[in-house]
Amino acid sequence: MAPWLSSGLIYASGLALTAGSITLLYIVTRTFNFAVASMATIGFYVVYTGVTLYGGLPYRYYPLVFIIGAITGLICYYGLNRHLLNRKAAEITLMMSTLGYDLVLLSLIQMYADFLTYNYKLFPRRVTMSLFDFELFGDRAAAFILPLIAIGFLTILHIFLTKTKFGVAMRATIENPVLASASGINSDRVYLVSWIISGGMAALGGSFMAMAMTGTPVMGMYTIPLMFAGAILGGLGSIYGGILGGMVIGLTEYAGVYLLAQRFGPWVLGYRMGIPLFIMAATLLVFPRGLSGIPLAKIIKSLVGQKRGDSA
Amino acid sequence: MLTVSKLNSGYGKLKVLYDLSIDVPDKGLTVVVGPNGAGKTTLLCSIMNIANVFSGEIILEGTSIIGEQTHNLAQRGISYVPQMGNVFAELTVMDNLHMAGYMLSKSEANIKADQMTEIFPVLKNFIHRLAGTLSGGERRMLAIAMGLMKNPKLMLLDELSTDLAPIIAERVMMEVARMRNELGITILMVEQMAKRALEIGDTAYLLVSGEVKYFGKAEALLHEPELCSMYLGIKESASKDKDFELSVSDEGSEDN
Repeated sequence: MAPWLSSGLIYASGLALTAGSITLLYIVTRTFNFAVASMATIGFYVVYTGVTLYGGLPYRYYPLVFIIGAITGLICYYGLNRHLLNRKAAEITLMMSTLGYDLVLLSLIQMYADFLTYNYKLFPRRVTMSLFDFELFGDRAAAFILPLIAIGFLTILHIFLTKTKFGVAMRATIENPVLASASGINSDRVYLVSWIISGGMAALGGSFMAMAMTGTPVMGMYTIPLMFAGAILGGLGSIYGGILGGMVIGLTEYAGVYLLAQRFGPWVLGYRMGIPLFIMAATLLVFPRGLSGIPLAKIIKSLVGQKRGDSA
Repeated sequence: MLTVSKLNSGYGKLKVLYDLSIDVPDKGLTVVVGPNGAGKTTLLCSIMNIANVFSGEIILEGTSIIGEQTHNLAQRGISYVPQMGNVFAELTVMDNLHMAGYMLSKSEANIKADQMTEIFPVLKNFIHRLAGTLSGGERRMLAIAMGLMKNPKLMLLDELSTDLAPIIAERVMMEVARMRNELGITILMVEQMAKRALEIGDTAYLLVSGEVKYFGKAEALLHEPELCSMYLGIKESASKDKDFELSVSDEGSEDN
């Protein structure tokens, strides 16, 4: 596998989860969650702490990553979001409250990094997590394992949303919160579960991304524009669209920078973030509702029709 | 069953209802009519804790329900069928019925859903279709079926006939009358199709600018030409119109 492709797949798997996390919260609670940045960083530090203090491969810590991410989501919901939603706060207020929560989490992450340095003599401020990986089929194992974990997670999420009573109730609340409440669905519980899943997804996404980039206390802050770009590219109306958007943004960043650096030289590397953002803007110009607004069924139908016409 | 007294409510800081008092008798069909903007929907939203209640009292079977969360009201047996957005368009008809019976166990919900498709046979053909693909009349039938899913003590129906062809609206009205007559459900119905609603209703309230202008027997309101022409747009004599409505009703039942 080409190096850009293996790194791109790892990074895109993580970005897909974080973009999905942003989209899920937005469609359920109308909240743009800026705290996704620090939630992602927390995911990285959970894995880092595990592998350096307790040993083993990074993958064994992912269930713990999800649980701790879910707890950060739960705290944000009960500490902030719930009170604001009950007071029918405006979207901008909801968004700014998560920014405040993100700053609190960021401070705690910085303190935790210092704690690891002073107490365990570790260097947690610049970490190359790929050093803890193993080789599979002559490449980094993460390039195979992380996309599979991401797909597995999304399959479970899909089954949860379509086959379970609570999952269908979540979809009902997303579509029509008033009718859902009038049907006896406790929207408070739906919002709580959304924050739990979203927090878990963000932390898991961050721990994936750290396998392809340098792990630092501000890695979430550095990548949050791309997490939002993924969610916006996905159209903000569908969790699956957000996940696809994150995947596209992640892969185009790595593929774009590789191709452009070959053509124009390594100075392009400094502008790597501009490539996926340009692709997002171009896509939105053609499809204002993002990837979930692309009439795929119509396109396939017209292509099939054209093919039939050609063969006739 | 339900008593609303001296209710002042609205949205945000905007007051829509002023000292409104109504009484909904057990197993009866109470109709609330009035011009646009009278506050009819706000009354139902206030009962369901969707609008803001500033003062007053709402008593259900002797207990105050002011401030009670909407999903708890549903669990207490109040079924609300909103005027717009009364089905989950992105869920199948079956999922809609199951969501409406959310607090029932799976087996209870299945039995109840089967009963609903017997009461509303039109739904049987579309049971696995997305509700968003149904016609206006079919959606309204589904909305009523959803309202019935939770074995309600009290149904709040908000302008069920809006945007429906007259013949379909008449069929919907017949279903409402049937729910009262055969299932013994207490109904509070807000309706724009005032004349037909007053014909099938037991008691009526005429609401104008958030205040009650008339209270009494539903059919008797049709014999108040001044109120009917000023607020309900009913200008012809009641008896003449009644003959017309009955002929529409007959066509409706044939079509059924």
